[in-house]
Amino acid sequence: MSMFVIGYYAALIAASCIAAYFQNRKAFMLLFSLTLVSFVLGIVGGVPALRGVTIFAGVLALAAGTSYAFREFLIQVSSPAVAKELRTAPLTAAFGMFVIFTYAIAGIFAPWIAPFGQSEVIASAFEPPNETMLLGADQLGRDMFSRIIYGARNSVGLALVATVLAFLIGALAGLYSAVKGGWLDQLSGRVADVIMSVPSLIFALLILSIFGTKLWVIVLVVAIIYSPRVFRLTRAVAGSVVVMDYVEAAKVRGEGDWHLIRKEILPNSTAPLIAEFGLEFCFVFLLIAGLSFLGLGIQPPTADWGSMVRENATLISFGDITPLIPAAAIALLTVAVNFVVDWMLFRSSGLKEQ
Amino acid sequence: MGDILGLVAKRLGLGLVTLLVVSVLIFFAVELLPGDIAQAVLGQMATEETLAKLREEMGLERPAVVRYLDWLAGAVTGDFGTSLIDGEPVTAKIADRFVSTLFLAAYAAVIAVPFAIALGIVVALLRNSIFDRVANVVTLTSISSPEFFLGYILILYLAVKWSMFPAIASLSSGMTFLELLERTFLPALTLVLVVTAHMMRMTRAAIINLLASPYIEMARLKGAPPWKVIVRHALPNAWAPIINVVALNLAYLVTGVVLVEVVFVYPGIGQLLVDAVAKRDFPIVQACCLIFAATFILLNLAADVGAILTNPRLRHPK
Repeated sequence: MSMFVIGYYAALIAASCIAAYFQNRKAFMLLFSLTLVSFVLGIVGGVPALRGVTIFAGVLALAAGTSYAFREFLIQVSSPAVAKELRTAPLTAAFGMFVIFTYAIAGIFAPWIAPFGQSEVIASAFEPPNETMLLGADQLGRDMFSRIIYGARNSVGLALVATVLAFLIGALAGLYSAVKGGWLDQLSGRVADVIMSVPSLIFALLILSIFGTKLWVIVLVVAIIYSPRVFRLTRAVAGSVVVMDYVEAAKVRGEGDWHLIRKEILPNSTAPLIAEFGLEFCFVFLLIAGLSFLGLGIQPPTADWGSMVRENATLISFGDITPLIPAAAIALLTVAVNFVVDWMLFRSSGLKEQ
Repeated sequence: MGDILGLVAKRLGLGLVTLLVVSVLIFFAVELLPGDIAQAVLGQMATEETLAKLREEMGLERPAVVRYLDWLAGAVTGDFGTSLIDGEPVTAKIADRFVSTLFLAAYAAVIAVPFAIALGIVVALLRNSIFDRVANVVTLTSISSPEFFLGYILILYLAVKWSMFPAIASLSSGMTFLELLERTFLPALTLVLVVTAHMMRMTRAAIINLLASPYIEMARLKGAPPWKVIVRHALPNAWAPIINVVALNLAYLVTGVVLVEVVFVYPGIGQLLVDAVAKRDFPIVQACCLIFAATFILLNLAADVGAILTNPRLRHPK
């Protein structure tokens, strides 16, 4: 029985008692079941398992604290109307916003944050971490940390461009179909059906095999693959707005299609579209990461998370986790965006599940 | 009964049309190639004579529509032409690998489907509890991670650090079934993790949706015991969404399998496709794309037909 184990159980049981005293049922159940689980874990895994639990709880608490502080910060700096909305955000959403904020900073200020250039060879291949290189060197001796920072700019930037393009194509086609109706509506509906009936990765591979892996090809292909999703949503949302009396009134007034779309329909269908933008970004980001991982995305020497995983994958067989960092960076951003989207969907639908 | 058969037939017809359109898309995409296939094979430096000779060999002087019909007829009878790189028949290259890929997908599905549906139902019944919240965060994380992230984490821990399973899924002919299961466990597990998360979330949403409907409330109000509410009232209507969820996720497996095969160097059709794309071996790319797309469309079709067949309102018309 080391001091650590005694302290561990003492802290858990004390926390459970405090929760019970303040009659916080949820916290008590959580803490006490954790105590019981720890008995089993301690017997099976010994002290290291308990240490693992402690570290995990610490990380979780740190993340929760950061999210809480960040939410307070956002509430302080934003206008009263926005601040009121932000107060309703759960901690997960605040965490998501914090992560997105961090990535944005890393991406925008990459050249100033990264100690070395993204294609600068500064050491021998796979050199372990030292004072100058936080995460060691990659397969060509470039600084891993700098490349991850630059990756925030390249990978996320490319996905963002593709998402915006997908959105422009899908939303414009959807709005136009809703306003015009008729054969145009039918035609775009069928085209969307066909594109959605082919798995996205397969579609992308087919087109990339023909046109090669140029950046504009990737952006265009990915945008086309994911525009039908936006199209369908916009078509459905706009379809229910189009039949409203005020749109009818605008039509009678003699307004053009473009005015109808911009002034009457769009302002009344933004909420679901913003949430869809987040979801769409996740899909696009994962698809591009997958393509890069297959060696068919952003080409070297540009730093990109997907290809960095593949290039350094050999390190994994030596038990080194460095190649997993760019992959984790991808996962973390997608999770963060999903958290924020979850909250937005919940808010815009106004539904409270019973 | 006539109604149902009509609906199913209509849906099957629509699926067939979609498949045809997609095959047109796959074939004519290659026609968009700057220059033509002969040019792409021989490169910019080729002389006119060699180009003409190759064009004649490949029958490129015929109109594209004729070549398409030829290709389609071949594809239906299992002949996908020959590889541009080594001249071997594509079908011979694909056949074994296709079986391997199907095996991997089936392996993952057999584990994932019962597990995910059971968990999804449990989570739906315990909704808004701590358990549900944790499940929500865990599944969301699993969905948001790229397949190769999960794959490499499994390799790092289960193969390298604790050496429980082999990291590379190499197959040889003289293996027993049990060995095969062990060798392919990690790729299958990766797929299971991704698909289970999806399936759980969809099952949960479907069940919650169902439990919120008025007739369930009615059953509760008249005092039916909870298990009876689930078994007698909820389940008959739950089959359609559950079948839908399963089929959609199996379709999702089809795409996920490509990345997982590359991570684990698994000799399946996904890896073949990726290699062929890098080498620009168009007959193989076309064949693989057609197979993947056809599987995807068929599974989606199965989802729709399953939903029609299990719909109580359609089965017992007034």
